Parts: sequence; C-alpha cells; structure tokens
Amino acid sequence: MNIPNVNLPNVNHLIHAYRVAPWRVQRQWIGNALLVVVVFAMVAALYLNVTSRTAIAGREIQDLTDAIAASQQVSSDLQTQLAGLTSAASMEKRAREMGFRPVEPGELEYLVVPGYVAKDAVDLSSSAQPQLNVLTIPPEYNQSLLDWVDERLVTRRYQ
Amino acid sequence: MRQQYGRRSQVLAGALAFFALAIVVQMTRIQNSPEADIFRQLSKDYAYEWRTFYPNRGEIYDRNGRLLAGEKIVYEVGVDLTIMTDPHAISFAVSDALDMDYNQLMEVIQNPPEGISYIVLADYIEASQANYLQDLKKALNEQAPEGSMGGLTGLQFKSHPQRSYPENALASNILGFVNREGRGYFGVEEKYDSLLAGNPVTVLVPTDPNKAFEIPNAPNGTTLVLTINRDLQAAAEDILDTALGTYGAQDGIIAIMDPKSGEMLAIATSRRMDLNEFWNYDAVYDNATEFNPVISKTYEPGSVMKILTMAAALDSGTVTPETTYLDTGEILIGGVTIQNWDRNPWGVQNMVGCLQHSLNICMVNLSTQMGANTFYNYMDAFGFGHLTGVDLAWEAPGRLKVPGDADWYPVDLGTNAFGQGVAVTPLQMMSAVSAVANNGRMVIPHVLYAMVRDGRQYEVPDQFGTTPISEQTADTLSEMLAISLEDESSEALVPGYRVAGKTGTAQIPVDGYYDSSQTNTSFIGWGPVDDPQFMIYVWLERPTESPWGSETAAPVFSEMAQRAVILLDIPPDAIRQQLAKK
Repeated sequence: MNIPNVNLPNVNHLIHAYRVAPWRVQRQWIGNALLVVVVFAMVAALYLNVTSRTAIAGREIQDLTDAIAASQQVSSDLQTQLAGLTSAASMEKRAREMGFRPVEPGELEYLVVPGYVAKDAVDLSSSAQPQLNVLTIPPEYNQSLLDWVDERLVTRRYQ
Repeated sequence: MRQQYGRRSQVLAGALAFFALAIVVQMTRIQNSPEADIFRQLSKDYAYEWRTFYPNRGEIYDRNGRLLAGEKIVYEVGVDLTIMTDPHAISFAVSDALDMDYNQLMEVIQNPPEGISYIVLADYIEASQANYLQDLKKALNEQAPEGSMGGLTGLQFKSHPQRSYPENALASNILGFVNREGRGYFGVEEKYDSLLAGNPVTVLVPTDPNKAFEIPNAPNGTTLVLTINRDLQAAAEDILDTALGTYGAQDGIIAIMDPKSGEMLAIATSRRMDLNEFWNYDAVYDNATEFNPVISKTYEPGSVMKILTMAAALDSGTVTPETTYLDTGEILIGGVTIQNWDRNPWGVQNMVGCLQHSLNICMVNLSTQMGANTFYNYMDAFGFGHLTGVDLAWEAPGRLKVPGDADWYPVDLGTNAFGQGVAVTPLQMMSAVSAVANNGRMVIPHVLYAMVRDGRQYEVPDQFGTTPISEQTADTLSEMLAISLEDESSEALVPGYRVAGKTGTAQIPVDGYYDSSQTNTSFIGWGPVDDPQFMIYVWLERPTESPWGSETAAPVFSEMAQRAVILLDIPPDAIRQQLAKK
C-alpha cells in the first residue's frame, strides 16, 4: 500500500491557523456564555417550578388544616344532634308512642350465656388512629438523591 | 463586512449590558427608595395574621357511652365594611332574622369606630338563623343585575363551637355548665375545667404558604367518661319527682353508688335546670348549695346515723348483737332529757331491736358507754367534718362538734348518737356507711370513670378511704340491719333481693328550736346483702303526707331499688346464688 506524499508542516500550520481564527474564538466565547445562560435559566426554571409547587402545597396544607378544623366542628355538631335525638326523654317518648312500657321485675327471665362477660363501661379508645409522622412517610418522599445513593452503597457493602 | 458584523455585535452587547446594568441600578434604587420601607412594612404586615382557633372542649359521656355534654356550631354574624354595599338591607335583614333593633344596627354600621373594617353584629347565633341569612344573601346575589352585587354583600358568618347538653336538664346537678367565655361552673364542668377546656387560642399565623408547618396546633380538650348510668339517672329523677308529689316534700335527693368501688351511678336532685339555658340559674336556685345538695347541702341526718353509732359500739366491743338493755323511754344526759321518737318505753331490747325500733335511748346508752373520746374518734374516722374527696365542685365538709369546741355541750354526745346536732351532707353519709357495706373499708365517692385523649382511654382507678371498722363488725351490722328490716316488714324491702338499711327522721331546727312538725326523712340502704352492688340514699325535705322516714323515704328506696336491679342487670338472690353454685 502506498502512502501519499503529504507536506506535514503545511498541514500543521493550517490546523493551527484554523484553531486560532478570531471568529472561532469568538464563537467559543459566545457558546460558553450561552451555555452559562442556559444553565442558569434551567436552574432558575427548576427553582421557580419547585418553589411554586411548594407554595401550592403549602396553601393546600393551610386549606386542609382549616377543612379539618371545620370537619371536626361539624362532626361534633352532628354527634350532639344525634345525642339529642336519642336522649333519655326522646327515647322514652318514642318507645311509649310505639306501645312499649317499662318492664316489671316479675316479667324478667335471666339466662346463663356461657362465656359471656358483661362489659363494665364503654371504651372510647380509637382502635386505629393512623398518624402520619416521619417514621411512617415512605423514604421516597423525604430522602434526597444523595441519601438514596448512600443508602444503596451501604446496603451493597453489607450484602 | 466581517468588521461591520463585529461592530454590530459589540453595539448589541453593549446595549444589552447597559440594559442589564440599568435593571440592576433600578432595582438598587427601588430597594433604597423612600417608599421601600413602606412596602417592607406592608409585606411584614401581610406576612402574619392574627387568627383565633377554637378547639373543641372535651365531651362528657356516661358510663355506657351516651353523650351528656358536647359541642354544637353557632355563628358570629358581622359586616365587612370595605365591601359592604347596602347598610339598610343588612340592617333590615339582620334585625328581622335575629330580632334585633334596626336603628341600633344602622347606627353601629354607619358610625364604626376609627380604623375598623369589620364589625360584629351578633354572636352565638343558632345555625338555623345563620342559614336563613346565608340563603337570603345568596338569593339576593343571584337576583342582582349583571355586574352588581346583592344587597347583603359584606355580611359575613364565622362558625365556632358552643357547649351543648343534649339531655337538657338530665343530670344537670352533676355536669354543671359552661358560660360563653368557656369557663365551667359547678359539677364536672368546674372540677375538671382545665382538663376539659379547649380554650380558644389567638395566635399569629404565617400567611406564607412555605411556612404552613408553623400553623399552631390547638389541641382539643380531654373527653371524660363518667361513672353515671344515664338510664338509671333518668329513672332516679323520675322517681324523685313522683315522690315529691306523692309525699308533698319541698325538696329531695336520690343518690345511688356502687358501695364496693365508690362509683356514683346516679345523683338525682329535685331542682334541675336546662343547662343549654344556663342564664336561668338565678331563677332556679336561691344559692349555690342548692345546685347539688347531695354534696353541698348539710343537714341533721337523724336516725340513719344510728348505723354508725352501732358500728362504733360493736367495733369497740362495747356491745354485741345479743347485748340487752332496759328501755325506759327517756334518759337524762347533760341536764337534758332525751326521749324515744314515740316518747314510749320499749322495755328489754337487744341491739337488733334497738335498730329495728330506732330507739334514741339505746343510742344515748351506747355513746355514753363508749365515752366521748371513743365515740368521736369513730365519727372522725367515718369522715364527718371532712370532705369526702368527691370529684365535683362545691363540696361542703359538714360539721361535727367535738369536746373542746366552744359550742359543744355534754348533751351533744347523746344527740349526735342518733343524728341530731351534727351537720352532714348526704354523700358523707353514703361514704361513711360504705364501710359497713364494703367489709369495713370506706370508699371515696367519685364520678370520673375514664379520660380519653389522643384516641386512648385512661381509666381512673378506684380510691379507698380508711377502714374505721373491722370486716367482722361490718358483716355483723349488715346482718342486723337486714334482719331488722325483715322483722319490721319495712316498706323498704325489695321483693327477691335481701337488702340492709335504716330509716331516718330528723326534726329541723327553726330559730334555735326543733320544730316537730317539720322533718327531714331519709333512708339509706344497700343490696344484695351478700354481694352489695348498689347503695341508695333517699332524702325528702319537709314531707307533708307523713313526718316519718319509714312511711316516705323507705318506699321510695324500695321503688328505686326495684328499678336499679333491672337497669343494672342484677338477678334476684335466688337466681344469682343458683348461678354461683353452677
């Protein structure tokens, strides 16, 4: 295979001239400047986006806090209305209107129910009261990317 | 061409740089302008706002989960003067709906205090009235011509909770009430005010949504579960009201307690008020002791005191049930002659007969045989002259005069033995007699069963007082009292259930002298004797049908006990003992 006869100093000179051409330097500067502007714009847009979403979420929290308070009040109000409808006087009146009367001691029959234990008093404990706290929030919602990477590395190290 | 392009670029860059610099300069100028401080102050003013949070006051339930005190929504009606369009329409609508004076409303709206943009026209408005006004405002807005607002624009409604009692007057003497400032008066509401209170909190709240987490949390008050049984309370009040009419009594009480734990199951009093209209307090009561006389009103208990004199005599070894004495019908003590209730001699009597016939001479004999020291030591141990510790506001300690007091006389040793010359509350009597029903140990009466906070219920343990008498004394005396009722065929007996108890008839001191025509009649009893599950105290004040406890309070006790065994699911003795054997 024949290698063409090339004048190498001339080629190097041309490449150097191309690299140092003023328009090319200018274009590099402009490109770099534009890159900085674009990066800043992207960061600003991201910041603006996150901030606006945070603000919306905060406003929703405020609204929900008010809604919870209002719901609690409504719930208490309805509970009180219900208690009024089932008060001793109301129930007795309704029972009498329906033809009931107080039982006489001689009309009672006591039965043994094996295993039955009469309850002493009411238990108003809430069996399930889900409380959203730091421990119950999934890590996806409160873990940064670096935290996640760190956790992965630590997990891999101990596997 | 290239040079021209380069120059244009430089000019453009210069122009842009100048424009950017101009923006920076302008920003700096605005930041430091005289108006900047005003804007900064405005931003500070709007950064936070004063807001009032109305946490719910803790609810009150009976032992079966029936709501006795809760919250309902009421409204504050006000006017936003900055957006108000028609003061006449607002004044007219509000005056019509809330029955207020039109001219007064106009005056308030048109001449507001300096710098005020919101005026409260009325507060604690019922939901129905507020809803009517809200509907009217909405209708006027809809009917208003295009581009204009309705006549009630500016009328505003703010909801907030208010204490409400769904049972109205039921158990009013136990619950007490809450005024509009949120302060509890009497009963549970006053005693546990700080625990129940979810008082409104006015705080600075950030308007910046990024600071939403700074919104303060105003916790609701603690919910209370009482030992009271609502149905038993209703039955007790019903029976008491009937008894007042039947026996012509001026006032009265029926209190029911579990003698083994001190839990108060019902406390009925003749004077009750609708707690939703607490402003009528003055119309119902003459003084504070009348709100709950069971704990606040002292009186001379009469013969029910003989239970405790006999308990002291048996426990100190002064007598046994078989000890006899000769009843001559009168006895001299401290220069004063004491007589039996019927002024007759009863001959030779043992201690069961002494209780059965309620003989004063017997009691004077016992107290003098014991001596003042022993007798008063026992009475002190039974808690007379001391608070019982019940968790209700306005308890009175009563008064037991003892030797050494300026107003104690030797005759008091005799009269105190049968319940005259001593001031006690009905609850003190119950607490003292609980020692007899509860194997010698006194209970501390209480109405709080449990507290509920953050979804968890915390039960309050029962508390006990001293043990003034031995278990053997208590058992012996219970048996003596049961036999005395059975032998007498007392009207207090409860078919199917063995009960122990004692009547009381006490003359009422009027202007320093006992008036034989005016008496306090009472009965204290408990059952079933072998496993006491209820103790009932009946007190009728100045009955006109009969002056005797055996003819007034005793039958009321029986009726109450018959209702109580049904409502408390207590089978008759025969069935219960049969079940126990299985």
